[in-house]
Amino acid sequence: MAEKATKERLLSVLDDLEVLSRELIEMLALSRSQKLPQAGEDTQILDLLVQRDRELQELMDVGREQGRVQEEMLLLEKEVEKRDSDIQQLQKQLKEAEHILATAVYQAKEKLKSIDKAKKGSISSEELIKYAHRISASNAVCAPLNWLPGDPRRPYPTDMEMRSGLLGHMANLPTNGVNGHLPGDALAAGRLPDVLTPQYPWQSSDVSVGMLPPHHGNDFGLEPPGHNKENEDEVEAMSTDSSSSSSDSD
Amino acid sequence: MAVVQTKQEKESEDCSLLPLVHDIIKCIDKESQDIHQELNKLRTKIQEAREQISNMPGIDTSPEEQQQQLASLRDQVRTKNQLLQKYKSLCMFEVPKAS
Repeated sequence: MAEKATKERLLSVLDDLEVLSRELIEMLALSRSQKLPQAGEDTQILDLLVQRDRELQELMDVGREQGRVQEEMLLLEKEVEKRDSDIQQLQKQLKEAEHILATAVYQAKEKLKSIDKAKKGSISSEELIKYAHRISASNAVCAPLNWLPGDPRRPYPTDMEMRSGLLGHMANLPTNGVNGHLPGDALAAGRLPDVLTPQYPWQSSDVSVGMLPPHHGNDFGLEPPGHNKENEDEVEAMSTDSSSSSSDSD
Repeated sequence: MAVVQTKQEKESEDCSLLPLVHDIIKCIDKESQDIHQELNKLRTKIQEAREQISNMPGIDTSPEEQQQQLASLRDQVRTKNQLLQKYKSLCMFEVPKAS
């Protein structure tokens, strides 16, 4: 059975004291006024009064002790709160660390996958260098080292070069064609004259043949279309030049 | 220690109603006119005792229950201290501050 709280007991004893003291005083006052001897009831009441008073004092001592214990409990509760906040802080930091580690592990795994993938699809460095050489040989990615403003050379086919090419020569050929055939037919039939064979690096389609030097040189000049022989000479001069700007960069 | 005991004795005597009852009985015997004053004193004393009891902390439970609560709190504090000590002794990582 749960014991009564100290407060309840104290109030109960105090009520008893009040009732007993009132009864005692009334009894004494009545006996004094009526001048009648009492039957010893007042003694009993007095004894009870003394007993209750003693109980009240004992309970008050207990109450004071409980008050001291209560103060200690308040201090302990504050300490518990502080520990709780420390634990929560630690928990937050651990979660953060876990997140960082998980991210790092994931990224490391992705990198390992990329490395495996790269190893499976590896390309020889010689082939890469050959392609790089070929791409840069036409000076399309970088101007030649001796290029200055005013230099007619360009990284794309210029007007003169286009006119010197197949399309330009097709425009100059007679309209009834050669031997009854149009120039386009001759090209399709594979019987195109050598002079009209493309000689420029960007027109070459065979990688294994090797690189053709892009040097258009000082022989280049602006001429109106129609001077086909001179253009042919220029083409031959350009095609026989063996310099390579990409190899000059060593 | 003797000072504490003296203080406790004084506090016990303060809450005793017997001296006031004794004074009232004396007034009745002497048929003194101060009896009403003494009765008022007794009434006031009882009222003050009630207020004092209402304001006393920690008496809403019995002493045994309070001791159980105290033991439970001490246990909590000890357990949490051990937990914190255990976590602090682990290998902690340095969390880089976000710049």
